[in-house]
Amino acid sequence: MTRPDAIDPPYLYPDYLSTRLRSPKEPLVSLPEGAFDAPGPLVPKGFVRKGDNDLTIHGKRAPLGEKMILVGRVTDESDRPVRDSLVEIWQANASGRYFHPGDQHDAPLDPNFKGIGRTLTDGDGNYRFITIKPGSYPWRNHPFAWRPQHIHFSLLGNAPVQRLVTQMYFPGDPLLAIDPVYQSIPDASARERLICTQHLQTGIEMIALGYRFDIVLAGASSTPMGR
Amino acid sequence: MTQRSASQTIGPFFHLGLRWRDGGKVAFPAKGERVVLAGRIFDGAGKAVGDALVETWQAAPAGAKGAARGKSNPFGFGRVETGKDGRFRIETSMPAGDAPSIDISIFARGLLKPLRTRVYLAPREKVQSDPQMKALAGSRRLDTLIAKPTGRTEYRWDVRLQGEGETVFFAT
Repeated sequence: MTRPDAIDPPYLYPDYLSTRLRSPKEPLVSLPEGAFDAPGPLVPKGFVRKGDNDLTIHGKRAPLGEKMILVGRVTDESDRPVRDSLVEIWQANASGRYFHPGDQHDAPLDPNFKGIGRTLTDGDGNYRFITIKPGSYPWRNHPFAWRPQHIHFSLLGNAPVQRLVTQMYFPGDPLLAIDPVYQSIPDASARERLICTQHLQTGIEMIALGYRFDIVLAGASSTPMGR
Repeated sequence: MTQRSASQTIGPFFHLGLRWRDGGKVAFPAKGERVVLAGRIFDGAGKAVGDALVETWQAAPAGAKGAARGKSNPFGFGRVETGKDGRFRIETSMPAGDAPSIDISIFARGLLKPLRTRVYLAPREKVQSDPQMKALAGSRRLDTLIAKPTGRTEYRWDVRLQGEGETVFFAT
């Protein structure tokens, strides 16, 4: 088992330059147990509209790139499904450019791809997105720095203690080895759990490649273990 | 036990996926007393953090019970971005309780996991007697969790991520 404190990255990880001035120096203060356990927030079903989980249908034409079906299950540390919970994703297009005014690097925008999706998990914790495989892109962290292909994930969970923002990576990406964001996770198996697996049968024949990415959130102690 | 998935930074382009309509107007089943919380976020060099996401979670005003329906945002939860000058602003309702407080999570480029903190909309005497603040009751650092009233219903609260006057952040 990984020590729990080897799962999340530290605040200060000097190889990722932006952490140097944004990481607290004072020790963190512990609150009495249960301080973050209150359930919620509860997202109403109507908050997510039909089609919000398909990132490929919002332009006039299909977006460029390798179409993919991405499925997964969200559970807590005791393997209980995290139900009816908001999952939001954002990503670069197939050439590695975000539809964002702050991204000015030399790769084309795709007018048919904004790279935004959201969905709610079902009663068993499952989610599904239809998207395209994002491209890698250069950034200024160090000489010849390129981010590995990734999709950003935000999960609200069912209690504040479950809130998670993370990134999903792709199997076999050689850029993982030089990426300080990925490498900031101390434990190797915790790193590997952020890599999705290719799962052909999840795809659609002749249309889309299938991938699977399961996510485990902290257990809220207000819902007792083994219930 | 299955092991948790690790946290990663929100990066500089989260506005795309995480911007909510009226994310800065926190709704409840009953309005109670509406208040504004505004402030700025600074880094260890005293520079404004212009690309942070601030999320708020709090108790409802007294007597306001129930969950959001339809298309509306979840009750009690706020989400705003800082502007280039590091400013954020949320409109919410005064939480119930003797020492009303709002739990805050801060996400940003350069934060590989969120910072958790809390802001009290109450004077120090009340905050000190909150049992959850026991560890800080005698410390000057407790002041970093207390907003200053700047009007009848307005509060100001700045956050310093690092260095002098560093805000208290919590372990989770």
